[in-house]
Amino acid sequence: MTAAAIRRRARSRDASPRLTATQIRWLGALLLLAQLPQAPHLPLWIAAFGMLLVGLRFALLRRDRLRPDAPPARIPSWTLAIFAVVAALFVRASYGYLLGRDPSVAFLFILVGIKFLETRTVRDGTLLVALASFLLVTPYFRSQSPAAALVALPALLVLGATLDALARSPASALARTPSQALRRTGRMILQGIPIAAVMFVLFPRVAAPLWGMPADAGAQTGLSDSMAPGSISELSLSDAVAFRVDFDGVVPPAPQRYWRGPVLGRFDGREWSMVARPGNGTLARVTPTRITYAVTLEPHGKPWLFALDFPASLPRPVGEDAEERQEAYAFVTRDQQLIARTSVLQVLRYEQVSVLRTSYPADEDEGRDFLRLPSRVNPRTLALGRELRAKHVDDAAVVAAGLDWLRSKPFVYTLTPPLLDHDPVDMFLFDTQRGFCEHYAGAFAALMRAAGVPSRVVTGYQGGELNPHGLYLIVRQSDAHAWTEVLVDGQWRRIDPTAVVAPSRIEMGMSRALGADEPVPLFARLDGGWLKGAQLTFDAMNHAWRRNLVGFDRQRQRELWRELTIDRFAGWQIAAIAGGLGLAWAGIVLALSGLARAKREREQALWLEACTRLSRAGLPRLPHEGPIAYASRASRRWPQFAIAFAAIAESYAALRYGPPPARPGEREALIATLARAVDVLPAPSQLRSAAG
Amino acid sequence: MIAATHAQVAQAWSRARQRVFRHAPADGERVVLRHSRIYILPSRRGWTMIGTLAIMLLTSLNYALSLGFAITFLLSGLVAAALLHAFRNLAGIEIRPLAASETFAGGRIAFTLSASGGERTREAIELGAPGADQVVADIPGGQSVILKIERDAPVRGPLALGRVTLSSTQPLGLWRAWSYVHFPLAGVVYPLPEPGAPPLPRGAHGQDLTAPGQGEESEFAGLREYQPGDPLQRVAWKAVARGAGWYTKEFDGAGGGGPVALDWAALPRAIDAETRLSRLTAWVLAAERAARPFALSIPGGALPVANDRNHRRAALTMLAMFPRESA
Repeated sequence: MTAAAIRRRARSRDASPRLTATQIRWLGALLLLAQLPQAPHLPLWIAAFGMLLVGLRFALLRRDRLRPDAPPARIPSWTLAIFAVVAALFVRASYGYLLGRDPSVAFLFILVGIKFLETRTVRDGTLLVALASFLLVTPYFRSQSPAAALVALPALLVLGATLDALARSPASALARTPSQALRRTGRMILQGIPIAAVMFVLFPRVAAPLWGMPADAGAQTGLSDSMAPGSISELSLSDAVAFRVDFDGVVPPAPQRYWRGPVLGRFDGREWSMVARPGNGTLARVTPTRITYAVTLEPHGKPWLFALDFPASLPRPVGEDAEERQEAYAFVTRDQQLIARTSVLQVLRYEQVSVLRTSYPADEDEGRDFLRLPSRVNPRTLALGRELRAKHVDDAAVVAAGLDWLRSKPFVYTLTPPLLDHDPVDMFLFDTQRGFCEHYAGAFAALMRAAGVPSRVVTGYQGGELNPHGLYLIVRQSDAHAWTEVLVDGQWRRIDPTAVVAPSRIEMGMSRALGADEPVPLFARLDGGWLKGAQLTFDAMNHAWRRNLVGFDRQRQRELWRELTIDRFAGWQIAAIAGGLGLAWAGIVLALSGLARAKREREQALWLEACTRLSRAGLPRLPHEGPIAYASRASRRWPQFAIAFAAIAESYAALRYGPPPARPGEREALIATLARAVDVLPAPSQLRSAAG
Repeated sequence: MIAATHAQVAQAWSRARQRVFRHAPADGERVVLRHSRIYILPSRRGWTMIGTLAIMLLTSLNYALSLGFAITFLLSGLVAAALLHAFRNLAGIEIRPLAASETFAGGRIAFTLSASGGERTREAIELGAPGADQVVADIPGGQSVILKIERDAPVRGPLALGRVTLSSTQPLGLWRAWSYVHFPLAGVVYPLPEPGAPPLPRGAHGQDLTAPGQGEESEFAGLREYQPGDPLQRVAWKAVARGAGWYTKEFDGAGGGGPVALDWAALPRAIDAETRLSRLTAWVLAAERAARPFALSIPGGALPVANDRNHRRAALTMLAMFPRESA
């Protein structure tokens, strides 16, 4: 841009009227309210810096007020460019990159503060309102909780009031107090709610992102594709909800609720990890005892979906019924694991059918892939395995002997096991003998491989808590679990070594199985009592929120359209319906404000009533006569009612022709006086006789 | 047949154009703004907000943010409600044309209109007319206000108010609602009095004229209420300064000479029409100052001898309305 162009721009910007102190104050309040919900999701210093910049402008405003003769506080524009570059560098340093969703939001957060510092004209104010509006959406990248929704409402209110302040013409003398401005916007927001609701229901949602999601779009907790000692016990410390399940009919008992997640087939001596095997698996056959349910899965950034062992269907997005959509949506691996085509980055709701079994038929020659074991680590485990194999020929007997061995040793189920360094399986099985489910599952699978029985680790969730409000199951991260599958007689059989050591884990959940001094998350520990009850009620509300509002996606929209029977209309018809509803809304809102006006004309009605009475008594008002003149004429005729006539005429004249009321309530008081005076006015017949 | 259809179409077209744009001054004594006259489009700020809403919507779509949709639509609802309120702010306003002032060429003409908005207070109503400065006013509920539009009057002749645009961006500045009213209201621009004009000519009855300097020595006769168009030099400024109101000083004709005949034909041949009009204007004013009755005759019109206020106005108007030579 040439210097001349910059000058031209600067001139045109100066042509826009200057902001008044009131307008700046509204803008500042708006920015702070818009920044507030975003702040907890930002690094502390970015949040503090961005909001301090806004605060700084307030301080400058104060300085202006203290020294009215000083030139208006203003920071040269070029220093702000430097500010912005420095801010960008800091954001880059803080996040490690700049061109991502989160750093962009952080940069915008600071940018509004910088822009606000140099804001002088009403046009700048408009730009800030636009930026603040956008800033209202960004916290939802991270959290769509009811609290996040509530916190946006004051910002919305102030946004309207700020627009109102910006639109205030200096020529308009009508002042408005902040509370009046807020009430007025509040009323307009309420009037707009029907429009918002119709748009929310009818605006078509799309299934896939319009453009690529930045890589940092999801960084949530959940099961990963590998498991080392300590990884699941770490997850178990989280109260966060993994998913919720609405059962269609029977809820299976806790010991049968194995939610299958990542299946880990490779073992390096310490860590179990997932093996990608080509080809799709075969789903279990649907039996009459099948379980049908809908899972509302929290985003976890990974593609796995969870189903009860074993899935008998592909996950069906709620509201979709076309078979081919299921294929495009998710598939089942040969390890009976359900995997979505894309990572789960938003709340996902799917219907699922499972049959409750503990085994499923393996493919031919599959076993070889699940026998590999590093030969140099864990020598004692290898020896024990060989020993078991020497005693028993039958695979099933080997498995039973392995479990017996576990049972015979003093194993302890704990969330805080000792650290395992070299030969972790050896150390766990023979030395420390204290561990969490991943220790037992991993060690047992290793032992079985050492004994020549094909085996692997399955991770997922076990159990879950039934919420009596709304009858659904809450599965939390603290329900994360790992178990073993062994291939015996051509069947993959589920073996849960944790159940051998701590049977209550499977029966009643982790918290009951652990000692009282274990660091169990609060909500997993609570049993009974009002706090737990309150927590369950809260979660039920949360679930409804998740399911109906946050989870209102393409599927839920289709579902709702079907319920409203508008799904059979074409797109243009639905648009026409929306247009018709919009017109109806406009008519209703305008009519309602017309009613409000009719109510305000109460003084007119009272005055007309008084005139009618006098006219019937033989003293009609002359066409040219004003209220005061008419009243004095009436007073001459009926002096005994002079006070009432005067009160009527004066209060009516003040209401009708006087200056607008200075104090709130003044108008109402005048109307009350008028009403009382009209009330004491005698009936026409009495007046007639009084005149005689 | 075809020609008739063509004419009908043209007529319908011009009617439609008049309905939409109000090009012709066809509005009568009073106009109430109704939906058929009110137009609404987003203001500059409105477009900014609509663009922002579109970006918010795209973001919500891409990241499937249900709450993003919710806040975007709530804000859209607010914008939609602002539209209705912008409409309501104009709807039902009643406008009446009151008067147009007179002035000499180079002065300013003031057009006055009265506006009332019923019970509701109408906020920041902007009034504009071609060539006039924008006027902004509130119309308090239950009252009517006098709105004054002023515009420059550079040349003599009638000066029409033209099409008035009433507009408002209240309440949130997101929408501009406007309405056209076109009253046949016109002011009169008198010719500019010729500076340094020769003294008044001889009297109509062959009397000798006294020197103009002496003729102006008329006596102060009293005050009357000021009316728009009265010469400023005759305003009783002392009364205005005291806050007593606007009055115009009137002078008695006693100090003057006899009647004077102001005749277009009597002027030297060499001077052109506009200069003649200017000179006659200057003489009309001089005769008034001298409190001398005068008669005026120009091609196409003549006034008999008189010396009252209406006579002066009729004379000046006749001079103002003299057909302009086709340029």
